[in-house]
Amino acid sequence: MMNGKIITIKNLKKNFGRNKVLKGIDFELNAGEKVVVLGPSGSGKSTFLRSINRLEEPSAGEIYFHDTLVTDKNVRAVREKVGMVFQHFNLISNLTVMENLTLAPVKLKLMDEDAAEKKARGLLRHIGLLEKAEAFPASLSGGQKQRVAIIRALMMEPEVMLFDEPTSALDPESIGDVLALIREVADNGMTIMIVTHEMGFAKEIASRVAFIDNGRIIEEGKPDELFVRPKTPRVKEFLDKVL
Amino acid sequence: MNDFFGKLVELFTTPEYIDSLLHGFLLTLEISFFAIIVAFILGTIISLIETARPSKWMVVPKFICRVYVAVIRGTPMALQLFIMFFIIFAIRDFPELVTAVLAFGFNSAAYTSEIIRGGILSVDVGQTEAGLALGLKRGTIFWRIVVPQAVKNIIPALGNEIITVFKETAIVSMVGMYDLNMAAKDIGSGQNMASYIVPMFTAALFYLATVYIITFFVRRIEKRLRKSDVRS
Repeated sequence: MMNGKIITIKNLKKNFGRNKVLKGIDFELNAGEKVVVLGPSGSGKSTFLRSINRLEEPSAGEIYFHDTLVTDKNVRAVREKVGMVFQHFNLISNLTVMENLTLAPVKLKLMDEDAAEKKARGLLRHIGLLEKAEAFPASLSGGQKQRVAIIRALMMEPEVMLFDEPTSALDPESIGDVLALIREVADNGMTIMIVTHEMGFAKEIASRVAFIDNGRIIEEGKPDELFVRPKTPRVKEFLDKVL
Repeated sequence: MNDFFGKLVELFTTPEYIDSLLHGFLLTLEISFFAIIVAFILGTIISLIETARPSKWMVVPKFICRVYVAVIRGTPMALQLFIMFFIIFAIRDFPELVTAVLAFGFNSAAYTSEIIRGGILSVDVGQTEAGLALGLKRGTIFWRIVVPQAVKNIIPALGNEIITVFKETAIVSMVGMYDLNMAAKDIGSGQNMASYIVPMFTAALFYLATVYIITFFVRRIEKRLRKSDVRS
């Protein structure tokens, strides 16, 4: 586990045409932190998260991974180290569960095929889905898909994991399973950034909360401060509604 | 009715007629087969250019492809065939078969490129994003993830296009080529059987049977490719 700052973001801006979604975000993520990103819908939370590994090309600003400026040239190396879990799982539909898990680590020569399969089997057994190894994603339930997506990210042994509303597309029953797995990943020391609407989970897991509104981080702090004594009226108003 | 059966017997017992029909059918198959290959290769190239990410190197190729597709789709096939025969390849002793293959191949390439482009664009962008987020190269993502999924979406429309080309080749009779359609007309004409019914219906059956066979194989391929969709 590396110490210190993993990600540093300076004055990040993102426009979609004339629509300014991110209006200048400064942010640091340190090793071991669990940062929950909150905010109303349309505030730019997802765009913020997706800009970190350049799934969204920033319109302005800089993103550093450790001390290296992330550019078009080195972005793939950064993505290897930054795991991502999507709202809609995005398992590769023409590949089996096993192939989903092993494709990237083998292609990127992080491990050979045997090692990758062994690791994948271990992770699948751990989440109770070993018998689904040769199944295609279409035959899995939403909760199963998302748990496979999480271990797919873990296969890469990332330094950080980004979760973009990982439970928003799930039925209530499988939300618990997915949150339990995320909690376990967090407890094992993974550095995490998560956009979520599960407030109970956010409170429980967060070491820090960042509240985004209208393209800016308007408040940041420890969960027991931000949830209990929000400093800005906008955060208070939001929390009154959702808690 | 008696006359119909009489003509039927006459057609199938006169070696010259059978010979004409089979020669015509063979030419129809030859033109279709090679035209479809030309269409597939050229159509794939066009669709790859059109779906490539925008960059300064792609501006001109993309523009050329757009114009090409617009011109081909915006003018009649029969006119394109005339232009190929009487203008572009109006060279003495230039093989007719090549001219016809290129005419139909160039025409179908425009449609094929749109089918392939549609297939590529129909793949959920989340599939590409998942590959990107894992650090995979764009090439790996394209060939391992996007193409296999696009092919599945493309096959039915591509089968349709193959059938269309196969039947549309019948217009080569307009430039005097002796295909299946022309053979039927020739056999039925005054110098020969002096009745169109039997040869034309026979030709129709040849077309129908071939289309049926094409459909059968396309369905089989489709079924095989759908195995990852099974929810069991």
